[in-house]
Amino acid sequence: MKKNNEMLSAAEIREKRLGVLYKILPVISVLLLVALWLAASSSGTGFPSPIQVWDRTVQLFVKPVKKLSLIGHVGVSLRRIGLALLFDWTFGIAFGVLIGWFPRAKAFFGPLFNAFRAIPPLAWIPLITLWFGIGEFPKVLIVIFGSLASIVVNVQAGMSNVEKMYLDVGTVFNATPRQRLLKIAFPSALDAIFAGVRTSTSAAWMVVLAAEMLGANAGVGFLISRGMDSLDMPLVLTGMVAIGVVGAILAIVTQFAERMICPWTRRKKSY
Amino acid sequence: MDEKKKVILRLENICQSYVVQNGVKDAVENVSLEIYDNEFLVILGPGHCGKTVLMNMIAGLEKPVGGKIFLDGEEIHGSDRRIGMVFQSMNLMPWRTVMGNVEFGLELAGVKKAERRAVAQKYIDLVGLTGFENSYPHELSGGMKQRVGIARAYTNNPQILLMDEPFGALDAQTRYAMEEEVLRIWEQEKRTIIFVTNNIEEAVYLADRIVLLSNCPATVKQVYDLSGLPKPRNMTDPAFLKIRSEVSANTDLAL
Repeated sequence: MKKNNEMLSAAEIREKRLGVLYKILPVISVLLLVALWLAASSSGTGFPSPIQVWDRTVQLFVKPVKKLSLIGHVGVSLRRIGLALLFDWTFGIAFGVLIGWFPRAKAFFGPLFNAFRAIPPLAWIPLITLWFGIGEFPKVLIVIFGSLASIVVNVQAGMSNVEKMYLDVGTVFNATPRQRLLKIAFPSALDAIFAGVRTSTSAAWMVVLAAEMLGANAGVGFLISRGMDSLDMPLVLTGMVAIGVVGAILAIVTQFAERMICPWTRRKKSY
Repeated sequence: MDEKKKVILRLENICQSYVVQNGVKDAVENVSLEIYDNEFLVILGPGHCGKTVLMNMIAGLEKPVGGKIFLDGEEIHGSDRRIGMVFQSMNLMPWRTVMGNVEFGLELAGVKKAERRAVAQKYIDLVGLTGFENSYPHELSGGMKQRVGIARAYTNNPQILLMDEPFGALDAQTRYAMEEEVLRIWEQEKRTIIFVTNNIEEAVYLADRIVLLSNCPATVKQVYDLSGLPKPRNMTDPAFLKIRSEVSANTDLAL
C-alpha cells in the first residue's frame, strides 16, 4: 500500500515537472526573440531596438495618427474583417453545404469555384477599385475574396465525407432528406466547419492588412505603409507586433468558441 | 414446430450480388426464412459470408437483387419503423450525449421532447446506464457504448430488433457480460430479436433457434431448434457442449 503511494507521488512529480516545462518553454522562446532583436538592432543598421518600438507604441497613444490610436487602427481593421467574416460564415457555409452535400450542385459550381479560388485576392484590387472606388466596401470585398474559399473548401469537405454509419442510423429510423441533412450530415461536419472558421479568420486578417497597405487612411496595414513612406521603422514594427498579437488572440478566441460549441471534439478517440 | 407460433417476418428467396472488378460476386443466394414473434433467432455463419448483407436488407439499408421480405404478412420495401437495428460498429453520434443518441429515433419521428425523454430514460435505465445521460460517447467504454446502441434501438419500440455482431468489437469478458445483459433485457422487454454472430458459443448461449449459413454465397445450411435447452444456459453444461460441437462440426471454415 505504501509502495503504491510512493509510485503515485513519483507520477505526480513527473506530471508537475512536465507542466512547469510546458509553461516555461514559450517564455524562453519569446525572451530569445527579444535577445536576438536587441543584438540585431545594436549593430547600427538603422533597425530599431525593442525599446524604440515600445516608445513609438506609447507615443502612438499620445499623438494619434489620423486621429486614431493603435487600438483605434486595430479596431478599424477588425471591423473590416468582421464584416467580411459575417458574410463568409453565412453565405460561405451555406454554399459549402450546397456543393458538399448535393452532387449536382458540385458538378455545376465546382469548376467555377475552383477557378475563383485560384485567383489571389490582390489580383482583384484593380477591378474592384475600378468598380467600387476606394471606400470601405471594396476593402471588405477584397477580404471576402481572400477568405471565402478557405471556409467553403472546409465545409464542403466535411459535408461530402459524412460517415456512412451515421447515415445508416438515419435510414433505419426512416429519416427524411431534410433530417439527414440537418440532424446527421451538418452536425457531423461541425468540426470541419470550425476548421474553416479558424482558417478563414486568419486568412481574413492577412488579406485585410494587404488591402490596407494599398490606399487606406486607417487600419494596421495603413500604419505600416505610413511608417514605410515616412521612414518611421519603429512605427512599422509596432504595426507588425500588433498584427502578431491580434492574430494570436483571434486564433485563441476561435479555438475557445469551438470548444464551447463542440464539446465532443475536446478529446478525440475511436467511437 | 409449434403450430401456434406466429410468423412475424418472412424472407422469400432473398438473393444479393455485387458487381466487382472481375465479374459478379454472389453474397446471398436464395435464403428463405420464417421468423416467429418474440423469438430469439441467431444467424450463425463463418467469416465474411452474407450475414451482415442479410441484416442490411432486412433493415432496408440495401435492396436485394431478388426475393421478397414480408413483415406481418405485407411486403416491405426499404426501411420500416417496426424494425430496429443495433450496429456492430455501434454508430453512436459523437456530437450527441447518451440521452441525445437514445432519443434520436423518436426525435426524427417528431415525438415531443418531454415524451421522448421519458421513453428514452426508461431504456437508459433498462440497459443500466442511469447517471450517464449527459456523457458523450467518447467518455464511455466499449460495453457501455453498445448499451447505448441497444437502448437507442429499443426506444423506437420496434417489433423486430436486428443485432449485427453487436459484441464483435468487445473484449471477451465484456462480451460474456453483455450476452447475459441482452438476455435479461429480452426477458423484460420481449421483442423478436435477430442476432448475427460468427461465434458458435455465443449463438448456442443466446438462441431459441440457430440458422446456420454456409460459406459464400450464403445459403441456409441448417436450422437448429434449441428451445429444449432452458435459459439461462451454462456454457459448461454437457447438453450445451453437445449442441455446440454439433453445430461446430457442421460449420464451414472461413478462408
